[in-house]
Amino acid sequence: MSGSWFERDTRCIAAHGQPAALIDLCLQRGINSHRLLRGTGLFHEDVLRGDTLVSPEQFFQLIDNARQLLDADDSAFLFGQRLLPGPLGAASQALSLAANLQQALELLVELRTLLFPLLSPRLLLDEQHAYLHWQDNCGAGHQFRFLVEAAMAAVIAMSRRLGGERLPWQIHLRHARPRYIEQYWVHLGEDLHFASPYDLMRLPRACLTRPWPQSAPTAALVAGQQARAELQRLPATHSLLDALYRWLLDHARQAPGLEHAADAFGMSPATFKRKLKKHDTCYQEQHDQARLHLALYLYQIKGYSNDEVAAYLRFHDATNFRRSFKRWTGLAPSALLLAMRGR
Amino acid sequence: MPALLRLHRLKLLALTLVANLALLLHLAAGDLKAPAEWVWLDILGEGGSALLALVWLCLILKSRPAGRVTNLLTLGLGLVFFSWWVDSLDEFIRMPEAIGWDHWLESAPMPFGLLLLTYGLYHWHHEQLAISAQMEKRERLFREHLLFDKLTPLAGADYLRRQLQLSLQESRREQVPLSLVAVDLDDFDAINQRYGHAEGDAVLQAVTQVLLLNLRRQDLLCRLAGDRFVVLLPATGEAQARQLASELAEAVRSLAHKSRQHGERLPLKASVATAMALDEDAEALLQRLNLALARAKQPLALSA
Repeated sequence: MSGSWFERDTRCIAAHGQPAALIDLCLQRGINSHRLLRGTGLFHEDVLRGDTLVSPEQFFQLIDNARQLLDADDSAFLFGQRLLPGPLGAASQALSLAANLQQALELLVELRTLLFPLLSPRLLLDEQHAYLHWQDNCGAGHQFRFLVEAAMAAVIAMSRRLGGERLPWQIHLRHARPRYIEQYWVHLGEDLHFASPYDLMRLPRACLTRPWPQSAPTAALVAGQQARAELQRLPATHSLLDALYRWLLDHARQAPGLEHAADAFGMSPATFKRKLKKHDTCYQEQHDQARLHLALYLYQIKGYSNDEVAAYLRFHDATNFRRSFKRWTGLAPSALLLAMRGR
Repeated sequence: MPALLRLHRLKLLALTLVANLALLLHLAAGDLKAPAEWVWLDILGEGGSALLALVWLCLILKSRPAGRVTNLLTLGLGLVFFSWWVDSLDEFIRMPEAIGWDHWLESAPMPFGLLLLTYGLYHWHHEQLAISAQMEKRERLFREHLLFDKLTPLAGADYLRRQLQLSLQESRREQVPLSLVAVDLDDFDAINQRYGHAEGDAVLQAVTQVLLLNLRRQDLLCRLAGDRFVVLLPATGEAQARQLASELAEAVRSLAHKSRQHGERLPLKASVATAMALDEDAEALLQRLNLALARAKQPLALSA
């Protein structure tokens, strides 16, 4: 699997996509384009050319500049509202012609590197609910909150725009309740839960399959094919952290160590460590996160008991597992699940 | 050069000219002092004062449009600067005893400058009262420019929180009710999508003006976030708040806003909700108001 991923410094994001949306927002607020692009290594003419690719690193710098210059609580939400379906040719068209929300979300996950390059969305379904889970992709660090706010605003605005109705989204966020809660009320809705173990949007499943008025199945299929071809033309279809996360989920039952993972990714442990450090993380953090997500999935969607989850994740016993779980989330499994169910 | 300074180019040019003229006159009449004769304390005191006067002048010019009050302040500060400037010149140039005009040049402009400055400040005060009257319904008793919204001429959520806290205390102390009204535009996103975000911004600004026109003197309008506004209604009960809310909704509905590009009318509609303060803090009251608004908006597709 060597070399098939992108990293922080790989140029893989279309500058006329998300970066252009952010630039437009800033220009409309009267911000000077030179100050906005300072330190990004990017010129406005490059963006206008329409074929420029930027690296996640450059995009992070742009976001940093934009946040400082806009200096407003609603920046992330205004940015997010402009993103989907977006101006990205075939991928955007496939989204806007989708038959229903489920198809659109599946496309969003599949075409994420085109549509939402800095975060990884994942879609999970159980009998009652659909869960859209957002995760860091390139070591966003302190920009993560901005990105996750934008991502959620983007999906909610899209579902409303294309479906023509307000949907009862439930929002879970890892960060604490922010001072500017009113932005969440207006842009994300009232069903908000902070200090959760993940960044997740939940929706009753029935909302996913209601037909969208302007869907065009054949044209959507064609646009989907074209978008997939575009995706293949990018330097990589997913990020290193994305690939590692999926590998960890697949191998969770073996509780793999750093050497094992480095080997699977075709590099020495030292190189692997260095690459993770470049993305503002380390192997232990990624490993814990994958195991936590898997544990929550087993509890909530599969209905496993403590012992079953501990056994699945190859812990010696339930006590050991509970201790680890507490280290990951700050709460024991029972307390966390109770807190989440009680909401 | 920043836009506002450009308005005052002539004034700055005149000041530079006069200051240089004074310098030339001194150089022509007197002799340069050797550096050993310089008195650093005087140089620092007098030169520093001149420099500061210049900074004040630039700040005033930069922050004010042209006009009578600006002219008075400029002339006043200009004379003050000139006086200190000449004062600091004689630290470097020795004037012959026989010459008396340099003392006149140094001392005469100062009283005139101060008089003009005082007169200007007095008029500034009146100007400020006029502007404050225009700010009515948009701020209450307390000004903090850091809390102003960047898009509409209103204060934002933080200012609202602060005012709400004060008003809650006041209403409890004086045993009068306090109510809030939330106004939220329906399908604002569709306007952004269809007519562009610049048009959406223009709609928000137009709605702001309409809402202001429909409020009483003592009411405070803030922009909470996005397309949602909140009105703080002191000494107002629930029934009266409902009445005001429906008037606001009606006003938005009959606002015939024309798009900037083709001039066609954009149909506007707003949902409103009210909440009367109970025994709770500002945050809880705002939260209750927003829940009421969520219920008032078009019903959710499926109840969660």
